[in-house]
Order: sequence, then structure tokens, then C-alpha cells
Amino acid sequence: MISIDSLKKSYKGVTVVDVPALAVSAGESVGVVGNNGAGKTTMFRMILDLVKPDTGKVEINGEKTQGTDAWKHFVGSFLDENFLIPYLTPDEYFKFVGKLHQWGEADLKVFYEKFADFFQGEILGGKKYIRDLSKGNLKKVGIAAAFIGNPQLIMLDEPFENLDPTSQIRLKTLLAREREERRLTYLISSHDLNHVTDICSRIIILEKGLVIRQIEGQDMLAELEAYFRA
Amino acid sequence: MVSIFLSHSWKKFRRSVSFSRETATTIFLGLIAIMFSGYLLALGFILPKIITNGLNEPDIAAFVNRLFLYYLLFEFVLRYLLQNLPVLDAQPYLHLPVKRSTIVHYLLGRSVFSVMNIFVLLLFGPMSIIVIGQEHGALVGFSWIAGLWFLSLTVHFLVVLYKVKLDDTFIGILVVVGVFALFAAADYYNWFNLTTVSAYVFSGSTSGPLFLLATLAIAAVGYLANYRVFREGLYPEEIGPKDKSQFNAPELGFLRRLGLTGEWISVETRLILRNKRPRTMFFLSIVILLYGMIFYPNPTYKAEMPGFLIFVGTFITGVFMMNYGQFLFSWQASHFDFTLTRPVSLEQFVNSKYWLLAIVTLVFFVLSIPYVYFGWDILLMNFATLLFNLGVNVYVIMNLSMWSPKRIDLTKGGAFNVQGAGAAQWLMGLPVLIGPYVFYLPLALFGYHLAGIIAIGVVGLIGIICRPYLIALTAKRLQQNRHILAEGFRKDS
Repeated sequence: MISIDSLKKSYKGVTVVDVPALAVSAGESVGVVGNNGAGKTTMFRMILDLVKPDTGKVEINGEKTQGTDAWKHFVGSFLDENFLIPYLTPDEYFKFVGKLHQWGEADLKVFYEKFADFFQGEILGGKKYIRDLSKGNLKKVGIAAAFIGNPQLIMLDEPFENLDPTSQIRLKTLLAREREERRLTYLISSHDLNHVTDICSRIIILEKGLVIRQIEGQDMLAELEAYFRA
Repeated sequence: MVSIFLSHSWKKFRRSVSFSRETATTIFLGLIAIMFSGYLLALGFILPKIITNGLNEPDIAAFVNRLFLYYLLFEFVLRYLLQNLPVLDAQPYLHLPVKRSTIVHYLLGRSVFSVMNIFVLLLFGPMSIIVIGQEHGALVGFSWIAGLWFLSLTVHFLVVLYKVKLDDTFIGILVVVGVFALFAAADYYNWFNLTTVSAYVFSGSTSGPLFLLATLAIAAVGYLANYRVFREGLYPEEIGPKDKSQFNAPELGFLRRLGLTGEWISVETRLILRNKRPRTMFFLSIVILLYGMIFYPNPTYKAEMPGFLIFVGTFITGVFMMNYGQFLFSWQASHFDFTLTRPVSLEQFVNSKYWLLAIVTLVFFVLSIPYVYFGWDILLMNFATLLFNLGVNVYVIMNLSMWSPKRIDLTKGGAFNVQGAGAAQWLMGLPVLIGPYVFYLPLALFGYHLAGIIAIGVVGLIGIICRPYLIALTAKRLQQNRHILAEGFRKDS
């Protein structure tokens, strides 16, 4: 699904991301973990062609993302508030994103039903603009919008941050169910080791822009805790 | 406490991310303020001469008294347009053991230190010494100017009060329209004349300390009213940027036929209507339509320098394009990452920007058609400049606005907000206004005025015909610059 080839980025002489090779195959769920400043967000941005790498390239489904548009049809993403349109209501925003993906009313209806639990009745039908929503609700809008257009790959940065406990649990169920139904691929960064090990089958540890270790299998949580304790 | 507040304000200014980037802008605005103050002071010195010699009014004080209410009215409008509300980000202090009254007094006290508040001193100060002081003695001269200053301060407090309580509300608009309608009607039906009212009110202005005390009392009332309102409203929800207005943009049917381009346009119309700064810009552009009234009725322009009216035409039809377009991509800075990661081709995006600017420009032209009253040639000129705006200037603006644009925080208000302005934005007006003359002057210099006008229109028409090509070119530049733009937009300024 994703293949990264000698991707490098530095700001003012400090290397922020340096990933010689990394691949995520279709249907895989991969978590990215690392302390602040490890380069997670910059790496995500380079994958999404939001930051120009110094060297290297990223391919999604065998197509280079840099300078092309086709990948945008099957990649859903939510990194931060720059992905939202602050002066629209959530309904208007969903509708607009839907239009960009040629969704009709019926598609949106199915989508709303799917996310009804996650929204807890707070998002839809309101008059508030996105800019006036609480941090948690902002996150919900962004995460949900990443699913519009039935993408094959979904990239989320810190999806659990700012969510209340109920929403965190519901999000986990939702991610698992969607993946099962449509064989989705996830690339998710998180500081919450419990959650990320719950939903991901492989964890990548980033540190100072480098992929330090990749963890798979049963005892991911224990391994991660051991790593970060040191 | 006040000194701590002052030092925090200074640090906020000094340490803001945009400080180094916007120093040039700040210095520029500062210089303009100093220059303007100098002009006002000079005007203040020659004002007595103008009144006695130029206007043949022997009693200067009486003349000023007659017009002073007008002056205050003018000041109200000026202050309303230029003055920002006093804000200290009070939130960090509210939970600390600081008296609310201290915070409010500081806020109000600091708001007095504004250039606007010395205008009256600059303009009438010299007169108080060389005319009033000479005639009635130093004490009267002093109390006269001090009294005027207190009245000016009262206007200041009134504006603050108006902005806090009534701005952007239906009642607020009603009040302003009502006041002006009342004056107009009074003048028309001869109920009363503002000049006689003014003369009556200020008849005691040369009586000395009594006038001073009365005006001081009025200013004090203004201050206290502000104090109460601010004290009551000192909650995080009420202070700070807020824009409660709900503007539900109409779903414009014809936009749907434009497909995704139309979707983008309707998103952007919401942007304009739901955020204060672009909204003010839009409404101000409509007011600027009246700009023609200054020039068109005057026959000398038409007879002696008809070419000058091209500038007026370009400005009238293109004012929104210029004002809004200078920040074309900055308006949507807060979701530029969205635009880049969604399946939108940048060509569609640019195309939607073109149509938005073009539709508004076209509407402004239609609104300017009544100027045909002053001659068909004016309509022709405006039509030529319309074509030029749609065919040439719009691309100049779209491309220049890609030149190191900055993020704009839409929640911040409009007046004197220079956020997002860089060198490119200051310079953008030049090529747009000079452009038509490049084609007009060569012909006009040989006496072919009409041919020059037609040349402007033809060049514009060629641009309109080449639209697909020019849009593609602009989109290509945006594509090339997208990473630089995205990085700039992610930084808070």
C-alpha cells in the first residue's frame, strides 16, 4: 500500500526524518510511536505530499504521491485542524467532502448511521461552526471525514488525544469493524501505548527521525513499555 | 500592577512570532501616523487664517462652535472605522488574585493612549493659544481646548461602547441609520439645523472653567459607563474575539451547475459572510462604489483629464478583487492542508477563485451602471475597465497573491488588521491600477482618447478568451509553490 524510499528531511541542518525504506502492505494496521519531536507528523506530511522531502519518494499503491492527485481518491487522512474548514458547520463540511468524492445523499446517510454512536448526538444537526466546537468534537469531525469516500488507506495523527473515555473505546471498535468489513489499511500515530497496540498489528518506533525498531506479535505492549522505560 | 500589565503587553508584542516579519509594516504604519499628525498640526496653525481670510468669518470661535458637532460626528465615524477595541488578553489574569477593577481601569486607561485621541489637540490646539488665548486670556484658552479634548474622549468611549454592545447587530445598524436619517430629515424639513444646535450647545465654550467642568463631567460619565460594561463583561466568553453572527449563505442554484467549482465558490461565500474581516471588506467595497460621485459630477475631470477616470473605473469595478484578492490564498490558509489532501485538482480550485472574483466584479459593474447619468462615455470606460479586470488584472492578482502569503486568522477583526500583509500585498495595487494605462497612454498621447479606451477593452477581451490557458498557467504555479505555501500557512503569525 505504502512504500517509502530513502525519505529524508532536515530543517536548518537538523535531520527530522530519515527513513531509508519502509513498507506497509494492504490490509495492514501500522502504528507509529515515538516521543515528541521524533518526526512522526513530518513523516505523515511527507507521505501526504504536504512537505517536500529533501530526497526520496513515497508511493501509494505504486503511484508516487509527490505532485500527483490520483491517490487522494483512496487515501483519507486527519492530522490536525488544518484539515478542517472552521467556518462551516459539521454537516456542511461532511457534505462538501462528500461532493469532492462524488458521494450522493444515500452514501452520506449510510455514513451518518455508521458514525452515530461515535458522535454521541453532539455533532450532527447543530448550528455551531467547526471553529466553535470543543477539541474532542473537532477530533471526531476530522476522524469521521477521513472515512468519507470509502478510502483504502487511512492516516490519523493522535486520534485518541482529547477524546473522552467512551469515545476512545467506541473509536477503537469502529476502527476494528471498518477494517474487517473493507480490508482497510491504517497508519496511526499515538502516544497511548495501550490503544495503539490494541488496534495495530505492527508498531514502528521512531526516534529523532530514525526507525529505531519494529515490533510485531503478541507482547507488543510489554516490549514498548520496556523500550520507553529505558 | 499597571507596570506589570504594561511589561506583559510589551513582551507580547516583542516576542510575537510575527514581530520580525511585521516590523517593517509596523514602522510603515508608525511613519504614516507621524506624518499625518504633522499635517494635522500644520493645518491647526493655518486654520484661523483659513477661517478669517478664506471663509470671511470674523469670529473664529463662533465659527468653530457652529461646526463642532459635525466634527464630533465625523470623529465618531473615523474612530469607528479605524479604532480597535481595547484588549489585554485578560483571561490569564482572571483566576489570579488581581482585582477586576484594576484590570478594567488598565484596559480603559491604556485605550486613551491612541493617536486618534490627540487629533483634536493637534487641530485646535494652536487655535486655542493664538486666537482664543489672545482674546479671552490663557485660562479660557486652556479650558476651551481641554474641554474639546474631553468631548473627543467622550466620543472615544462612545465608540468603544458601541462596538462592544451594538456592533454587527440589527439594532446597531438601525441606530446609525436612524441618527443620520434624523439629521437629513431635520435639514430637509427645516426642523432644526445642526449648526444652530451646535452653536447653542457650545455658546458657553469661551466661558472658562465652567465649560471645562461640564465637559469633564460628560467624559467621566462616558468612562464610568464603559467601566461598568467591561466589569460586567469580564468573562472569557464575552471578551476576546467573538463573532456570534450566523450568516446562512443561500444555496445559489446556478453555482450547482458549475459542479465542484461551484461547491468551492459556495464554501468561499460562507467564508466571506461568516467571518468579520472579509465581511467588512466586502461591505466596504460596496461603499467604495460611491467613490465615483467624487469625480464624475465634476466636469473638469471629463474635459481636461478624461484618462484619469480610467483609474476610477478600474477601482470601482475591481475594488473587491483587489482587496480580497490580495490575500486570495491566505483566507483559506487554515485549511490549505485539507485542499491539498482531498481529491481536488488545483486547477478547479483556481478556477473557483476566478469565478468568485469575476462574479463579484461583474455585479459591481452592474451596480455602477447608474453612473451613465453623467455620460455614456463613463459607462464605456467602466465597461472597458471591467473587461480589463476580468481578462488581465484578475490573473495579476491571483499570481501576486502566491508571493509569500501568510496565514490569516479569520477570527480576528477587520479594522487596521494588517495580519497577512507582506511586501507583495502592499505593492499589489500598483500593477493593477497602472495596467490599463500601458495600453491607453500610447494612443491617448496622440489624441486618440476613444481608441485608447477601446484598446483597454480589447486587451481585456483577449485575456478573457485566453482564460483556460491562463487558469492552467496559474494552477501550475500554485502546484509548484504548494509546499512553500503550506509551510507558511501552518505557522501562526
